[in-house]
Amino acid sequence: MTETLTILGLESSCDDTAAAIVRHIPGSMPEILASVVEGQNDLHANFGGVVPEIAARAHVEKLDTCAEQALTQAKLGFSDLDAIAVTAGPGLIGGVLSGVMFAKGLCAGTGLPLVGVNHLAGHALTPRLTNQLAFPYLMLLVSGGHCQFLVVHAADEYTRLGGTIDDAPGEAFDKVARLLGLPQPGGPAVEQAAKSGEPMRFAFPRPLLDRPGCDMSFSGLKTAILRERDRLIAEHGGLRQTDRADVCASFQASVAAVFAEKTRRALSEYLALNPTQPAFAVAGGVAANSVIRASLETVCNEFDVPFAAPPLALCTDNAAMIAWAGLERFRAGYRNDMSLSARPRWPLDTRSPALLGSGKKGAKA
Amino acid sequence: MQPDSLTLAFDTSVAHCAAALLCGDKVLHEMAEPLAKGQAERLFPLLQELLAKADVGWKDLARIGVGVGPGNFTGIRISVSAARGLALSCGIPAVGVSSLAAQAEGLDGPVISVLDARNGNYYFQSFGNLDGAPPTRCTLETLPQIPARADPAVVGFEAALIAKHYAGHICLPIFPTAVAIGRIANRQKHDTKSRPVPLYLRAPDAAPPKNPAPAILP
Repeated sequence: MTETLTILGLESSCDDTAAAIVRHIPGSMPEILASVVEGQNDLHANFGGVVPEIAARAHVEKLDTCAEQALTQAKLGFSDLDAIAVTAGPGLIGGVLSGVMFAKGLCAGTGLPLVGVNHLAGHALTPRLTNQLAFPYLMLLVSGGHCQFLVVHAADEYTRLGGTIDDAPGEAFDKVARLLGLPQPGGPAVEQAAKSGEPMRFAFPRPLLDRPGCDMSFSGLKTAILRERDRLIAEHGGLRQTDRADVCASFQASVAAVFAEKTRRALSEYLALNPTQPAFAVAGGVAANSVIRASLETVCNEFDVPFAAPPLALCTDNAAMIAWAGLERFRAGYRNDMSLSARPRWPLDTRSPALLGSGKKGAKA
Repeated sequence: MQPDSLTLAFDTSVAHCAAALLCGDKVLHEMAEPLAKGQAERLFPLLQELLAKADVGWKDLARIGVGVGPGNFTGIRISVSAARGLALSCGIPAVGVSSLAAQAEGLDGPVISVLDARNGNYYFQSFGNLDGAPPTRCTLETLPQIPARADPAVVGFEAALIAKHYAGHICLPIFPTAVAIGRIANRQKHDTKSRPVPLYLRAPDAAPPKNPAPAILP
């Protein structure tokens, strides 16, 4: 922990191509010297979700320009770097592969060490980049592809307390937006529509609240929305904007209620570990939802546990979190060689039983 | 050997890892391994072995030549991403070369180059005095027209069948894939700015959602 480290991070596991440079001088706050994110929302807009092949095609042609921009922004050259960190999974394999191969190309020419980073570790370690949280802290990682409660013991040690057994909530937001004729990405669109809606009008299910533990499910909720929508359309010959707002508000209330209750349970389990400086943090795009965020904050207040929410740009996919996670791994002695694999599946907690998609290639997350 | 003329060429657009190190058009070393899986893991170790054989380092390279397809989408992206990383880190140009052109490299006269595009489809490009048209994806029924009595040399996938269609004759590629890519890249010396772009010749498999959005009432 004595060395100043400057790391270039690369991220391409979903629909954002990103490059960032993070520097850490031991004893001071880590500094994000540059962070470039090139989104692909326009490319996927017509398809109601991220199309893997379209995403992969975009990453190949954007990674190098993003890296160049990051170096320019930071006014640094490769010789100022100590290592290159790249998302090596989990995620859409086409994009992850492009990132890994691009990073290997950079490392070959510069002689810099290569550090493969788990995308989820990037999210999970962000509260240390932004809030210097001490281990162990409790983390809710909630995005378009992931949803889990993690106790973060160290940069390379995680316990998953629970997670979704089917869809990720971000996915549910996208699907609900599609069902209701709202634009993609669904999260901000549903939140906006919900503002004028009545959250108590529809009693949508709160899945798995009747069962112990921290596991969640969002698939049935989606079906309930579809049924309600069809009922409203049959009744009025179309979907009225006020009804749509009420459906959005009620859906959001349902998700927030599930998170609140599951967070209570997760906090109880976490606090039983007697952490010296207890803290709860969120990350992932869904953490940007203000209703969900407020309900999580309320629960933390009940338990008198500090609530940390990194700024939005560091909650959604970015490369600063990859550079930071790479920095922590590099400092812990991790290096990868040129045979580093891109992994579509790569659970952070390898001991807990798989929640979903535990096929031949292992658990998804 | 002039170090400023070293070209490293590689290709993973089909089920192989192929690479060649050229000094001008002279092949110093080449390697090709059939590989259906694990190209991403194997490519850089293979390139390192190749450079070690010639006792040169990454910094000695003057140019990258990379196969951009058409071929396996994932394989193409593996090589193109690697080439872009190398170009940036070594500060040298990377030149994208189509597999259709690589296969036709060195063949004289009118040439038709064909690759397997799966499910009865072909990737097609003509060269020599037939050329002008960009590469395309077609079926036996939609093969492009060429001038009569051209007697083209046909190289590649199902060459016999295609040669019969055009009343031409079969030819074999003259150079191994990576060597051909290196030779073609060498001829693009003037172009140091453009970056290799995958040649897919096929739109991504994506369809708009089947269920249309509901009518929204005020």
